[in-house]
Amino acid sequence: MATSIVNTDKSFIAAEKPGKKKKKWQSYALLFILPSFLLYTLFVIVPTAGSVYLSFTSWDGISSDIRYIGFANFVEIFQSPRVQNALKNTLVMTITLVLLENIAAIAMALMVDKVRWFRNLFRSIFYFPTLLSGIVMGFVWAMILNYNFGVFNQILTSVGLGDYIVDWLGNPKYAMLSIILSTVWKGAGYYMIIYLAGLQGIPQELNEAASIDGAGGWQQFRHITFPLLAGSMTVCMVLSMISALKIFDQIAVMTDGGPGFETETLTYIIYKVGFGELRQGFGTALAMVLFLIILIITVIQVKFLQKREVQL
Amino acid sequence: MLFLEHKETLTDDDAHIGPAVSGLYTQGEVTKDMKNTITKLSVMLLAATTVLTACGGNNNNNASGGNAAATEAPAGNNSATDAAKKDVSFTIGYASGDPATKKAIADTVKKFMEANPNVTIKDLSETSSAAYLDWLKTKDAVGEFPDLVEMRDTQVFADAGKIVELPADLLDLFESPPQVDGKVWNAPMQVNAPQGIIYSKKAYADAGITELPKTYDEFIAIQEKLKATGISPLVVGGKDIFHMGFWVNKFLIDDVYSKDPDWNSKRTAKTVSFADPAVVQAMTDFKELFKNYVDKGWLSTADNQTASILVSGKAAQLYSGTWMFTQIAEADPGFEFGFYAIPDRQGKVNVIGLPSPAGWSLSVDAAKDADKTAAIKDFIRFFFAPEQYSVYLASINAIPSTKEKVTYETSEQMQVALDLIADTSVTKSLAINNWWGDNLIPPQFRNWYYKLLQDMVVNDADVTEYMKKADTEYDNQVKANSL
Repeated sequence: MATSIVNTDKSFIAAEKPGKKKKKWQSYALLFILPSFLLYTLFVIVPTAGSVYLSFTSWDGISSDIRYIGFANFVEIFQSPRVQNALKNTLVMTITLVLLENIAAIAMALMVDKVRWFRNLFRSIFYFPTLLSGIVMGFVWAMILNYNFGVFNQILTSVGLGDYIVDWLGNPKYAMLSIILSTVWKGAGYYMIIYLAGLQGIPQELNEAASIDGAGGWQQFRHITFPLLAGSMTVCMVLSMISALKIFDQIAVMTDGGPGFETETLTYIIYKVGFGELRQGFGTALAMVLFLIILIITVIQVKFLQKREVQL
Repeated sequence: MLFLEHKETLTDDDAHIGPAVSGLYTQGEVTKDMKNTITKLSVMLLAATTVLTACGGNNNNNASGGNAAATEAPAGNNSATDAAKKDVSFTIGYASGDPATKKAIADTVKKFMEANPNVTIKDLSETSSAAYLDWLKTKDAVGEFPDLVEMRDTQVFADAGKIVELPADLLDLFESPPQVDGKVWNAPMQVNAPQGIIYSKKAYADAGITELPKTYDEFIAIQEKLKATGISPLVVGGKDIFHMGFWVNKFLIDDVYSKDPDWNSKRTAKTVSFADPAVVQAMTDFKELFKNYVDKGWLSTADNQTASILVSGKAAQLYSGTWMFTQIAEADPGFEFGFYAIPDRQGKVNVIGLPSPAGWSLSVDAAKDADKTAAIKDFIRFFFAPEQYSVYLASINAIPSTKEKVTYETSEQMQVALDLIADTSVTKSLAINNWWGDNLIPPQFRNWYYKLLQDMVVNDADVTEYMKKADTEYDNQVKANSL
């Protein structure tokens, strides 16, 4: 460190010259980046490059025979009704989950921010489902919603609504809804914590001033709290979107993509064709397509939300 | 299995990045530009890592691949007594969706280890919602392909170089085991047994049913009578995809395979179609049965829940195999039930009953280790030894595959199954995915087809249209496999 202070570093000297762009880092900074760079390369870049290659093959996942088939997998993807159905389900599920999870998270954050009694208890209760793995959560909800043995249908029957019991996970009208609502139950608590941090960062004087000016609770939320949560919202929206796009565990356990193919999403179909149907090459090509979709949606979302932050 | 590992990594990433970014916002320690950059970076990294590594695969597993047929199993003259002195360990994997089978095999493994303290068998089997082929494929992808494996898709795994031929000195144990490519790959665990209707005698009596059906139409008339009493006529464990096969194959055998055992090879050659009248008739019967007489919760009912629904009186019948007899008797020892095969419209009885290449197989990796191979061969001999094998067979009501006579006390229901096998007027056939050679279907097609049929029933869709979809998918899969 001392050597750089005595101006032996040329970049430092160059930075002192007027009109020259100042360098923000020094060469030894590379050493700090190196471990992360190596690990990231080994565990992300290399497998990714392998995936790109496999997406152009007919590899079945178990044979040593890996044959290059050009764009055949991608052609099939764009012609397959099953993939189109999975894409539609993915988009429906993502939009619904992002909206519901964030609305629920903001509502819960406001509740635990203002509540006077048992504040920590409520925070813990709302956050608890987040600690469960998707698999465990899926099993629990599959048991609750089971047609013959599930608690939910038994409650409906016991309160005289026995005529309304349905197979919540086996009926195509309700299977997707059941997955979405149980995922909101699991995920909203996590975003609540982020919104709560955002709420506590809002200066109290603003609400006090608004209150003195005669603003009611809703007006304070609409014109002060909600705009100032923009930063938290950017993070939560993006994270919930990514989480929704890669939803897998719940579907695997609760419906196995069924009934039929009704609740298959892109991530699930990647797994099913790759591992269940012995089409690793096709599954990898689907993964490439999903990557592009996530990338495009993420770029658009970040641009839009950041613009909103600046405007606010 | 990179996909699943990746999922776990992402979950961790989410947990770490979220609060970190949030903290940056609330503490205001960085500039807006940096905040934007960090948000963007974390978002991009998450987006990039979400998918791209998903199906990277595991090429290392295939390093030992190649031509398994060419891989010689260690010579059988490596005496078992030598191996018995050494500490040996091997892994075992088998289909464990049926609790009775799982227990029967686990008990045999335990007894073998008690009798051979130097041998440790690690049981990899897991009860999951995945189909057995999915599970086995996933185990292979993570480098945990079992040393001794219950093989059901023999030709697929033999062609992929994952299993070796059954050691020659074990062949004598069995009565003409089926061959694939002229070779025996499996030690058949049992002979295929007929499936049929397991019915509650009380429910039949309550509905005034005094005679078993002689035709399919009489069978449907029985369903109407049962339905009229307010009971669900049939329970189906449709949550487990293999369970769908029981009914699907009943109709396919009646209308297709009993008349043309080579139908699969003709479908591959495109000279027949799923949209042909015979298949459409079979699937129409399937759809009508499921729409009208199957318990409403069939898609969320697992195979292992069907016995309790039957004995509880919620449903009157279950269409399944002989292995269910023990489960049902254990669920309620006082439950009185009968068993019969459903006749077709002409009154002819067609059942599953031909031999098929399935059973214990040695992995290529295990075959490279002489000690391991010797221990596995000892285990196979132990498994099929009459005193041990009879316990296994009795617990799942199976039919022996060994040359040596194995007997056990059969129940009234099991006797019906044995009579069906012995009856020469009963046509014996196989399920859609159990044929081999030219009649082998694309291995991924079975599960896809069963799912398609679920979709067809829940959407009350046109059978012919859905069979055209089956044609398209079948051709695509044949083409994909040939590329």
